[in-house]
Amino acid sequence: MTSYPRVQSSVRSALTDFLASNNISAAQIRDDYGRRVADAAREAAQEEEDADLDMEEPEYEPTPEPDSPEDKAKKRKRQQAIEKIKKTKEFARRKARRTGEPDDDDDTLANEMVDEKQRPTPGQLENCEICGKRFTVTPYSKTGPSGGLLCAECSKNHVGGDKKAPPKKRSSGIGRRQNQSALLDGLASQGAQSLLETCIKKVAENISDVEEFGDLPPPVMHRLSQILARRRAITSTTLDLFLRPQNKEINIYDCAKLGTDDYHKILATMPNLTRLNLRFVTPMKDRIFQYMMDRNMDIQDLHLDSPNLVTDEVWRQLFTRLGPRLRSLKLWNLDSAFDDETVEVMAKNCTQLQRLKLKHLNKIGDKALETISTMKTLQHLSLQISQETTPEPLLQILTELGSNLRSLSLEEFYFVDDRLLELIREKCRHLTKLRLAINAELTDKAIANLFRGWSNPALTFADFHRVRDVDMANPGGPPEPVGLASDGFVALMEHSGARLQSLNVASCRHVSYAAYEEAFGEHKRYPELKYMDIAFNGVVDDYLAQCIFRCCPALTRLVVFGCFKIRDIKIPRGVAVIGTVGAKLTIDGITQKELV
Amino acid sequence: MADSIQSEFVTLVSCDGFEFIIPRSAACISGTIRRMLDPTSKFSEALSGRCVLENITGIVLEKVCEYFMYNEKHKDQANVADMEIQAELCLELLMAADYLDT
Repeated sequence: MTSYPRVQSSVRSALTDFLASNNISAAQIRDDYGRRVADAAREAAQEEEDADLDMEEPEYEPTPEPDSPEDKAKKRKRQQAIEKIKKTKEFARRKARRTGEPDDDDDTLANEMVDEKQRPTPGQLENCEICGKRFTVTPYSKTGPSGGLLCAECSKNHVGGDKKAPPKKRSSGIGRRQNQSALLDGLASQGAQSLLETCIKKVAENISDVEEFGDLPPPVMHRLSQILARRRAITSTTLDLFLRPQNKEINIYDCAKLGTDDYHKILATMPNLTRLNLRFVTPMKDRIFQYMMDRNMDIQDLHLDSPNLVTDEVWRQLFTRLGPRLRSLKLWNLDSAFDDETVEVMAKNCTQLQRLKLKHLNKIGDKALETISTMKTLQHLSLQISQETTPEPLLQILTELGSNLRSLSLEEFYFVDDRLLELIREKCRHLTKLRLAINAELTDKAIANLFRGWSNPALTFADFHRVRDVDMANPGGPPEPVGLASDGFVALMEHSGARLQSLNVASCRHVSYAAYEEAFGEHKRYPELKYMDIAFNGVVDDYLAQCIFRCCPALTRLVVFGCFKIRDIKIPRGVAVIGTVGAKLTIDGITQKELV
Repeated sequence: MADSIQSEFVTLVSCDGFEFIIPRSAACISGTIRRMLDPTSKFSEALSGRCVLENITGIVLEKVCEYFMYNEKHKDQANVADMEIQAELCLELLMAADYLDT
């Protein structure tokens, strides 16, 4: 640390001689020297402490005097400064930022940085370049036309002439995040978005300034509600915009910021409600349900996510009082209430119920399933319950209700076996949607058998995700395939291909290459298939992906997480391919190399 | 205007009397206008190539026409940025967009 100033001082003495011969004041030189030594010492100390920190450079040319004989020395100093600057991290950083631009040259950049360093630092006084007035330099001081600084007054006037740099051309790396985000939303459409959607987004952005929606049509209100919920912008104040006494439905997808009184407000201002669809309703309490009963509201569709503060007792009262009116009931995420007994009251009183969805309910089990099998009016049934259940109650449900069901979704019933498939085949004649997901008991043979010669018309929605054998020791699976595998997949596509709109076979990893080749052969067409999830079907490669594109002209979304053999594909217009890793994607003839 | 040969341009008229003459292809981005101008419909709009939009003001219709042209210009591009819309106009524009089915 001590050696550094000494080296400087030897250089200084030579310079002092040179300057003295040019009649430059020694006092000034001394002052400058003192400052430089102090700066250098500070710099060295800083360098040791924190190599990353950008340090303040000493001022190299304290008295710039153009056209004086000291130019040579000045030049040399400048050259040294440039060399030094080229080694700094800041330089590397700026250089990286500017690659690709026309003035991409080390020397230009270094020169610029030296100039910047030589400018007076904030707090110092400087003469304005234009008007010559003395002013205090701030970090915001603008640079004038010939590189000097401007006073506040002149910078203001100068702004007009100081044209903004044209927007930088985006390199492929930037904006990728937004593109990926749009892809995940399934927006791969070319061309501008519809005016309606653009406006809705804009309204959502400025929601705090909106006083009244006027008479927006319900579908638009619904979409607005969705977008606002996604932005987590629904609060007591924004809620008011959705409260319309004459409307019959309300859909709020994020009630997390609402309080108990807000639910009161909804029910009180909208007495004609028939559809109450609220999600994340944590502070909903008994008294809200009481109010609904006191007012004898005509609720037909009740969709609530996580109303955990409502007690079993009040649930039962609600079903007793309003049960006969309910047409659809959807409940998610209940863990402290809603037990088997409540389900019994529900089954007994909800005599018109057509749709029932119970997802992630902690307190119900086999007994509740048995009760559900008595609800003869059900057409749509969707169950995913947290307790472990035996297969028998589900078989009973299928036996009793199967012939009436339009859609059936059973998730996470680990112990369900092939008998369920046989019953579906035997009973169901009107299914359009079938989801049997997350199970390792159903066999490929039984699934294939279900779809071969099943008198149910083609499905529009099929979901068999994670129906497969899981055995770490035997990744190839047992010789007699368990889960949806090759045969079942081919049979499914044969049976439902003509009408299928949505297909999810994620993680069904025993579907073979040959099965894919057969299902997506040259003359196969799946005209309505829009959404397809083949994540973790490792066999799918570039060729099969192209076959899929060829066979599915309506495809808009293809999910391929974990399909690592997809390396280089040509994606047709309007298809969002989600989950490729480091693949070369050619969209519309434009190649996009994916960064990893 | 002969109905056998359709003019390349159509006229949109706002409720306060402003007229906007834009290419037919651009105007037909709107489902409502497309159906109005459908030659098989025999609506007077289809015959005259002139649509009077009684519930849309000139200011809003101007923005709508701007969108039509914006859409036309970018129809073959991917990842198109949204068009700029002034916040004070967006609710009215939203209603118009809903009516025009665009």
